[in-house]
Amino acid sequence: MIVFLTGGSGCGKSTYAEKLVASMPAGRRVYLATMQVYDEESERRVARHRAQRAGKGFETVERWKDLAGAPIAPGSTVLLEDLPNLLAGEMFDGGDWTRVIPALRALASQCENLVIVSNDVFSDGVTYPDETQEYLRRLAQINAAAAGLADYAAEVVYSIPVPLKGEAPCA
Amino acid sequence: MKLYIGGAYQGQEELARAENPGAVILADFHETVRAALRRGEDPRAFAREVCRTQPDAVIVANEVGAGVVPIDAGERAFREAVGRALCVIAQASEQVTRAVCGIGVRIK
Repeated sequence: MIVFLTGGSGCGKSTYAEKLVASMPAGRRVYLATMQVYDEESERRVARHRAQRAGKGFETVERWKDLAGAPIAPGSTVLLEDLPNLLAGEMFDGGDWTRVIPALRALASQCENLVIVSNDVFSDGVTYPDETQEYLRRLAQINAAAAGLADYAAEVVYSIPVPLKGEAPCA
Repeated sequence: MKLYIGGAYQGQEELARAENPGAVILADFHETVRAALRRGEDPRAFAREVCRTQPDAVIVANEVGAGVVPIDAGERAFREAVGRALCVIAQASEQVTRAVCGIGVRIK
C-alpha cells in the first residue's frame, strides 16, 4: 500500500506515519531519512524522531538526495520522511530535482508498503524570491505526483488525519 | 473540551461563540502558546495543563504551520510549538472544527 501524508509544521504527521507503519504487516521496516544534519536544531530534530521511533523495529537509511541510490531491499515497508528535505537536497546541494518523481515511482513499485511524508508549506500568502518560488512550484508538483501514486492520502491536522483520497488502513 | 481552528480570519471564533453560548472561550490560543514559549514553557506540558485545569473550555486558534519554514529561529519555534500544543488539545477534545470561509468542517 502507498500512503501520502501532508500537513503543517508540528501537526503530528510523523507520529501518525509511524503508527500506520507499525500497523502494517511487514518484514523489514525502513526509515528513509532525507534531512541533512547541519546544525544543532536539526540534530535535536533527529534525536526527537529517533526517540519517537525507538523500539518500533525500524532500520534507518539516510539519503538526502538521489533517492534511487538508497539501499532499500525489495519488499520492505518504507517510511520516507520527507519530500521537502529531499527536494532541497536536489535543488540546493548539487543534485537534480527532475529525478525525484521517477525515483518515487520506482520506490513505490519495489516496496511492500511505502508511506511518504511531505509538508504543507503553501498557505502563508507570501511571495518569496524566485528561487524559493521555484522550489515551492516543484514541491507542489512532487506532492501531486506522490498523492497520485497513493492508495490513501491524508492531511494531518493537529493529530487528526483528514482523508483526501482512499481509505485509511487500520491503525 | 472543544477546539476550533482555521487560517487567519476564517470565522473560527464566531463559530465557536455561536455554537457554544455561555462557554468559556479561550480565543487566539496560538498567541497564548507564543506567550508560554516566551516564558520558557514546554508547549505540550502547557497544553496538558490547560486540559487539566479547564476541561470544559472551548479553544480557538489560528492554524499557523502551513507556510514556508521561516528563517527566523523564533518564528520557526513558534509555529512548531502551536502545532505540538494543538495536537494535545485536539486529542483531549471531544470535538474539533475547522473553519474555512466561515463554514465549520467537523474533523473530529
